[in-house]
Amino acid sequence: MIGSLAVNILLIVCCLVILVPIVFMLTASFMSPAEIFSMPYRWIPKQFNATNYFNAIAGNDRSFIFVRNVINSLVVALSTTILSVIVSAFAGYGLAKFQFKGRTTVFMMIMGRMMIPFEAIMIPMYITAVKLGMQNTYYGLVLPFLLNAFGIFQMRQYLMSFPNDLLDAGRIDGLGEMGIFWKLVFGNSTPAIATCAILCFKGQWDNLLWPLLIAQKETMKTIPTYIVKFTEEKTSDEGAMMAVAVIACIPIVILFTTMSKYFLGGSTMYSAGKE
Amino acid sequence: MWFPICRETTFLPRSFAMKTAYIGIEKKKARWGWIFVTPAVVLFLLFSLYPMLNAFFNTFFNMKLLSLRAPKFVGLKNYAYIIQSKDFWNSAKATLIFTFGAFVPLTILSMVLALAITSRKKSGRVLQLLIYSPAILSSVVAALIWILIFDPRGLGNSVLNFLLRSPGVDHQWLTDPVMLRICTSTIYVWKYVGYFTIIFVTGIAKIPTSVIEAATIDGAKKHQIIQRIVFPLIKPTTVMVSIVAMLNCLKSFSTQYLFTQRGAPLEPINVITLNIYNTAMRDLNISRACVMSVLLFLIMMGLTLIRLKSSEKDTVSY
Repeated sequence: MIGSLAVNILLIVCCLVILVPIVFMLTASFMSPAEIFSMPYRWIPKQFNATNYFNAIAGNDRSFIFVRNVINSLVVALSTTILSVIVSAFAGYGLAKFQFKGRTTVFMMIMGRMMIPFEAIMIPMYITAVKLGMQNTYYGLVLPFLLNAFGIFQMRQYLMSFPNDLLDAGRIDGLGEMGIFWKLVFGNSTPAIATCAILCFKGQWDNLLWPLLIAQKETMKTIPTYIVKFTEEKTSDEGAMMAVAVIACIPIVILFTTMSKYFLGGSTMYSAGKE
Repeated sequence: MWFPICRETTFLPRSFAMKTAYIGIEKKKARWGWIFVTPAVVLFLLFSLYPMLNAFFNTFFNMKLLSLRAPKFVGLKNYAYIIQSKDFWNSAKATLIFTFGAFVPLTILSMVLALAITSRKKSGRVLQLLIYSPAILSSVVAALIWILIFDPRGLGNSVLNFLLRSPGVDHQWLTDPVMLRICTSTIYVWKYVGYFTIIFVTGIAKIPTSVIEAATIDGAKKHQIIQRIVFPLIKPTTVMVSIVAMLNCLKSFSTQYLFTQRGAPLEPINVITLNIYNTAMRDLNISRACVMSVLLFLIMMGLTLIRLKSSEKDTVSY
């Protein structure tokens, strides 16, 4: 029983430590700087006024560029997600269900790509993107991330066990190969696709390094790069900083609360690795 | 495999099978296979293979961003420069300190938490979600929250002063080199502990209950079960988690970048990714950034290979 009590205390303490910063962010987003740094910290704001949120959205220069940046983030994250899921499903299906010359080469290529961290090739990628004239464009922000090696690998593993009889039935009934893919394969692999899509959306929503390199124009910035700029400015007040942070979390929180299964699925897939 | 019909047709003489140019079904399918993988292959060539080869090529030249002069061939000079540069070794040191400071506590904490969570029958699911929640925040947001907590007037000081009973002391979280390193590692551990806990929970859940029941019947105590059964059986997960955590730590960038942008000293937290970024974008020296990228790439490649090897060797089958 003592052991059980110790475990309970450990869990409660850990949960508290983990949750405190998040609660801090939420409450501080309604406070004035003086209130945020008052000692001891007041966990419930005196009044819930939205000034911080207005300041966050308007920016220090009242240019409302943040609105544009939020739209950029949404456009980039959504289009990357949709397109990369299609590319992954295509490639995963091709690798899993077709025999063709060079299949092993393509598969090894994808496996190899999984081992290359983005950070190690970001500068070369940047130079390539600049050569292609992609600086400060949506193309530049989206195209380099359409190849999602991990996604392709997952789709392939998932589709390996997809029943061939179903595909053949489709062929016999006169569906073209594209029809088979869209109507039978894509519609019937929701778990793999959802996990893939969520990981991709989250990755893009959080991406700081690449937009920092490729989108230096104010109007092309995404939320993470806006946050960096906003934090750098001396005039930003702390409450507004927290308000920006809260706004940046909204889409992910919505996704997490509605599809937590796939979120956790994404991380457990790692441990499933080789089974 | 699964097209006996087409096998039969191919046995027929060509002219017999069809008058017009006949494409066998296998060939047709091979063609479709290629069509399906083409987008991925093109993207790979354009945004992975070409940049990589180009980067490797660049390391032997003296290439500057924004410079119009044709780059000059310098041989191994860039490598020599990096190997001798203090800045690079400082980065290597900062990265190593950060990596060890983050992945060791991460692995241990997440394992302990996972063991604790799996022992709770009812609240397990809720606890998992709670502990996972920081992982859904973006790293920039996480860094931003902690910058305010570590502010001289912020929560960090008041909590630590409360624990140490030392009112009014500023612990210089964001200015002292040691504290700064602790801060960056703390943020990382805080953000990812839930993620790795979940991986451990799945690993533990895979242990068949019959094994544990058998041990209980044989009179094993709780700690004996954990020590003698759970630990050896989740060894593959442990190896995997520590290597994945290590790989992620080696790549960390956002926290350190945001800290330095906010005025923290660069030197103690100048991790390799930050150094690559600054060398390329601030000093405009592409070649040297590429040399560091190549080195980072080799290290991470090595770690990944170890991970794949170990996951092959260590798989437990029940």
